[in-house]
Parts: sequence; structure tokens; C-alpha cells
Amino acid sequence: MLDNLSTSLKDALKKLAGKTVIDRAAVEDLVKDLQRALISSDVNVKLVMELSKAIRTRSLDEQLPKGTNVREHVLRIVYQELVRLVWVSTDVKLEPQTILMAGLQGSGKTTTTAKLARYFQKKGMKVGVICADTFRPGAYDQISTLCAKINVPCFGNPLEKDALKLTREGLESFKDLELVIVDTQGRHALEADLIREIIEINVISRATHRWLVIDAALGQQASEQARRFHEAIDIDGVIITKMDGTAKGGGALSAVAETKSGIVFIGSGETIEDLERFNPDGFISRLLGMGDLKALVERAEEAIKADDVDVNAMMKGKFSLRDMYKQLEALNKMGPLKQIMGMLPMGNMELPEGVYDVTSTKMVRYRIIMDSMTAGELDDPALINSSRMQRIARGAGSTLDEVRELIKYYKMMQRTLKGLRGGGGKFNMQRMMKRFSGMK
Amino acid sequence: MFGGLKEKLQAARNRLGSSIEGVIVTQGSPAPETRTGEPAVSTASQKTISSEVPTFVDKVKILIIDRELIVSEKDLSDALSELEMTLLESDVALPVSDAIIASVRKNLVGKHRKIGASIDALVVGALKSALLDVLGNGFNLVNYIQTHNRPVKILFTGVNGTGKTTTVAKIGAYLKKQGYTVVIGAGDTYRAGAIEQIGVHAERIGIKIIQHQEGADPSAVLFDAVQYAVSHKIDVVLADTAGRFHTKSNLMNQLEKIRRVMKPDLVVYVDEAVAGNDAIVRAAEFDRTVGADAVVLTKADMDSRGGAAISIAHTIGKPLMFLGTGQGYEDIMPFDPVQVVEELLGSDA
Repeated sequence: MLDNLSTSLKDALKKLAGKTVIDRAAVEDLVKDLQRALISSDVNVKLVMELSKAIRTRSLDEQLPKGTNVREHVLRIVYQELVRLVWVSTDVKLEPQTILMAGLQGSGKTTTTAKLARYFQKKGMKVGVICADTFRPGAYDQISTLCAKINVPCFGNPLEKDALKLTREGLESFKDLELVIVDTQGRHALEADLIREIIEINVISRATHRWLVIDAALGQQASEQARRFHEAIDIDGVIITKMDGTAKGGGALSAVAETKSGIVFIGSGETIEDLERFNPDGFISRLLGMGDLKALVERAEEAIKADDVDVNAMMKGKFSLRDMYKQLEALNKMGPLKQIMGMLPMGNMELPEGVYDVTSTKMVRYRIIMDSMTAGELDDPALINSSRMQRIARGAGSTLDEVRELIKYYKMMQRTLKGLRGGGGKFNMQRMMKRFSGMK
Repeated sequence: MFGGLKEKLQAARNRLGSSIEGVIVTQGSPAPETRTGEPAVSTASQKTISSEVPTFVDKVKILIIDRELIVSEKDLSDALSELEMTLLESDVALPVSDAIIASVRKNLVGKHRKIGASIDALVVGALKSALLDVLGNGFNLVNYIQTHNRPVKILFTGVNGTGKTTTVAKIGAYLKKQGYTVVIGAGDTYRAGAIEQIGVHAERIGIKIIQHQEGADPSAVLFDAVQYAVSHKIDVVLADTAGRFHTKSNLMNQLEKIRRVMKPDLVVYVDEAVAGNDAIVRAAEFDRTVGADAVVLTKADMDSRGGAAISIAHTIGKPLMFLGTGQGYEDIMPFDPVQVVEELLGSDA
């Protein structure tokens, strides 16, 4: 399902991959590709512009979290902004309630109504369906056939022309049931009579929820239609249908932005069971045409927690045992040292092989040994003489040799970091950055 | 209908106009100063005049000698990106709007333009030809029926919920009004209530319908409909089918079988005017698997800006036949590209 567009988005992200300083031009590129991705997923153009503005500003203004590269940083922002948009808490409570279905013609309201009835029925609720579609021929036949398949009572009368009367009578006859879904006829915002009708149905039914059903393929009209529906009956949830096609559902994103509500369910198939609760990660990945967004963001988030590795201090050569301790701690979360070094700005400097030559069991031993040191010793390892060494070894239950080895390892790390800084100071740093961004 | 696009395009047109106007002003002012140096370089510049990128000297020369201006890419970029936004906001799919913009750019860049000539005309001309290019010629169903052997068999396809059944009813009513006899085949045997739906429509407009029960083989139903038409000397067979997604290969195979069995003269692809970018994906897929000879766009009354028409026409290159414009049987109109483009850009231009 990935098309050229997502490839170009990926290319743009790749450009950012190794960067450790925010490159304005690269961010601009990415934002542009992002815009194209979102627009071709049918997200409202104005919304895309607002979104990309926020993303651009945040990417350029926010400090790059330590231990992440620009790509992860920007991706995280993109992801957060999108989630913020779609992820309004839409708890579906299993309590007595009335749900009013609204939507354009052919968006899939009736099918979704049956799917919802099935969903709540499976959760153990007593469900009833009212067919208030008095216009489309065969509407009652359709919903009653579907309801009969799942043994849900369906109230309706194909000969009755008054939707309000049907709703009233239906609610009356279903007053013992816990959950009633009112299916309505398809309408669009410019049909004033029909909008008036649904306002009245909403009043009569005193619906707990008013859900707007949106076809995944709906384009730029989604915003406008959602806005008008929202004005009429105060939409509090959106259901996307037909997600089993190739449409990306960007219209639904416009709709939730417009109604300040969230996406409740996703319909993705023709059988009555094909209804899922909304999952923002899958949806956003699909919008952007990128499958691995969540994982990428999670990695970035993880790395941020390694905040405590104070890179700047280390670069200044102030590398104490305490720093090393933090590093070892972070290591547990992030995997091999080599990989951590890859995330840090000095990334691909060729560190002596010995630095990496520390097995994870040794790491644990080192930490235990350091736990037996005093704060003073951690901050200033020069304090550690042989008598202190003996104390530490006894406290940690290790041998003197192990403590010596730790000190040796520490000194090697310190030397390496000092070497990184080198004589050239700033110039050297820049050269390093360049080298770093040059590689993947 | 399509009013939104019209307004937007006119705004963009004004911008394009003013952008080109801006060029005249900025290029017009330095001209007098360089005039003295003109004879000296004129011979040298003569050779390069046909090169693709006009040099400043060329521009000045053309300005002085021919009283014309060269429209450069830079002058247009702002206005064109505005136009692109306009197209995108009107639901023209991204690749299609890219193509249109490229065509307008190609048409305008490097054009010599008489100083006195109307800027408006230039821009509108470029836009109009680009849009007409994309929309192609309409499809006149009545002409088609007149020139072909009866019964003319028309198969309707499309994804779920685009309005195939309603469109079949509307076209049935339209053809009946034109004096043709029509039979409808209820080929949607899958969706609950679909047979009842088309049955009620047929009864209301007074057209014979051939139907089996729910779950029957649609090929058989439609074959029967064709047989009925042949034996009763009926002019047109309208074959409704169940909505299906282009991603479901078994359903697409079923459609293929229907096509094999009933041998339609026309395969009509039905989609909604409010569809976004997916319109091009599915239109292309339907065209590839079962073919499409003409397109009907429904729900054009939803304040739609007509982008889907442009997208689909551009993608599969098939003519648009009808627009569905409401819930009544008479709410259908034959599609006339020239008229639509005139309407979009204003007939005064």
C-alpha cells in the first residue's frame, strides 16, 4: 500500500537521519513532503497547513533532546501533533445509552449500525435498533435483515414517512433495553429540511452519543460537512467506514478536528463483525504511508529518558565515575554501548575496541562496585587509593582486581572522551559533527 | 454546483494575472536605462534568442523591439503554488494537480506576451486548455444508444456506497423520458435490502425489473435481464451490481465473470464527487480489471468542487457521462466539459 509519496517522505526523513543539529532546509523539505503525504491522504488542506506550521515551529524551536537525532526528534513531533488531533478520549461505556447515527448518503451508516449493535451485544448488553430512515427504499429491509442475523430487535416501518414518529415509538417500545441505536437516512449539510429533521430526532431521542459516520474516501468536503453536522447536533464521535479499501481516511481527521471529538470506531469489511476500536498508531501510520512510525517514536522516547547522560559535560572532559554509572544504567535500557555511542553526538568516532569490550555481566559487576563508592569518590575518582579500593571491594563483595579493572576502564573512557575533544576545540567539534552526519 | 471551484479558480486567476502584471512593472522600469547600451549587444544576443532560458538581454531586446514580455518561471511560482492549493482544496488528487500545474506552467513560461494584450486571456487560456485537456469530451448516452444495436447493455460498477443503485434508477428514468424502453437487472444480490431498494425504484418509475433472491449469482440475474430485453425488444438494459472494493480480488473476479456472461456494450464506473485522493486509485484499478467506458459522478450537489471529476478523468482518460445532483429521479444531468469549464472559469473570459 506504500506509494511513491511515502517513499519521498522516507527520503526526506533519511536526509535528517544523521543530523545532530537542526538543519532548517532539511526540516523544510520534510514538512513539505509531510504536507503532500497528508494532502494525498485527504486531510483538509487548511488543516495540513496549520499542522505543518506547528510541526515546523516546534522542530526548529524545541531543543533537541539529548541522545536523539533530528530525524527522531522531528518524527516525534509529527507523531505527537497528529495524535493530539485524533486522540480525544472516546471511552465507550457499557451503560444504558442511546446512540444517534448521522452521516452523508452512502457513507455506511446502516451497515455500521448493525456492526455496532453486534459489538455491544457481544459485550453483553441488551441492544435494539431503530430504523429512522424513511427515505431510501429498502433501508428497513436492509437493517432488519442484518438485525435478524444477530438476533437484535429492530423497530421500523417501511410505510411510515415520519422519522420523528418512528423514533418516538421505537424508543417507547425499547425502553427496557439498555442500548438503543437510531439509524437515520443519509443527508448532507446543504439539505436544510433533513438537517432540521435530524436536529429534531436528536431532541426527541435525547441521544447520549451522536456519532458521525465518515467514508474513508471522503475528501476535502469532510471538514465542511462535519462542521455543519456539529453545529446541528453536536457530534461527539466519528466512525470511519470502508477502511478496507485503499482510502487513507484523512477526511475523518478533518472531521474530528472540526468537531473536537475523537474517532470511536473503524469499519473495515463487509461482514457484521468487521468493526474495530480506533487505534491512533495504525491510523497515523496509514495516513503518512509509513508502517514503522510508532517504533521509531518509541525509540526516540526511550533515548530521551537517557537525559542524564550529560554529553556536554563529557565533552568538556568532565567525565566522572558518576557519569559512567549513569551510562551503564542507561545501557540496560538501550542495548549495546556501541549503539548508544551511535546516538550521541560524537557518534561514529572510532573508539578503541576495548571500550566496547565490556560484557553485560561485567557491566552489572561494575555497577555494584560503584554502588559501594562514596559520593566523593564517584565525583572525583582520583581520591581512590589502595585502602579505599580495599574498602570498596569488600563492600561490593568483589576482588581487588575487579575494582582495579573498573578504574582502568574508567580511565580509558575518560581518555577517549578527552581525545574526542582534541586540541582544535570548536573546530574539531564541527569536523566531528560533519563526519557524523556523513554516515547513516 | 462546482461553485466553490469556480470562485477559487477565479481568485487564483486574478493572482496569476497580477503576478504577471507585476512582472511588467518591474521589468518595465529598468528598460529606459539599458536602452542606450542596446545596439552594442543586439548582435550578440541575436544568436541566443532561441535558447530556452532567455537572458536579461533577450528580455530587454524583446521588450524594446517587439514590445513583448517573456513570462519566466520565477514570476509564476507563487501564483502557481496558490493555484495548486486551490486545486487540492477542490479535491483534485495530488498527482493530477501536479500534472495540471505543470501543464499551465509549460503553457505560460517562455511565452512572449504583447504589452497591450490582456493578461487575463493568457492565464485563462492556459488554465482552460489544461482543464479541457484533462476532462476530455463528454459522453452522450442518447447518441450512443441511437448508433448501436439494441439492446444496449450497460453495466454499472463501483465501490460501496457511491450511489450505483440510485444512478441506475435515475438513468432509467432519464432514458424512459427520452422515449426508450428500459429493463433493470438487480445484480446486487449481496447487500441486504438492495433488491428491495432497486425494486421500489423500478416500480416508481415504471420500469420492468429482473430479479432473483438475495445471494443469487449476479451473472445469472443479469444474463436473464439481457435475455428478457432481447425477447421483448427492449432498447436498454441497465445492470446494477453490488458495491465492491478494488482490493477484494474475489469480488473483482465476480465482476469479471458478470462482464463475460452479459457482454455489456458499456461499462459505467460510478463514483462520488466528494471522494478525495482515493478516487484515482480505485478508478485506475476498476479500469484495469473490468474496464470502464464512461464515468458517472454522484452526489455533486454536496457543495462539491468537482475535483474528483478532474482526477478520475485524468487518471483513466474516460469521458464523464452524467452528474448526479440530488435525491430525486430527475436530479441527473449529462456532463458537458466545455460547459463545466466555462462555468468554472467564467464564460466572459
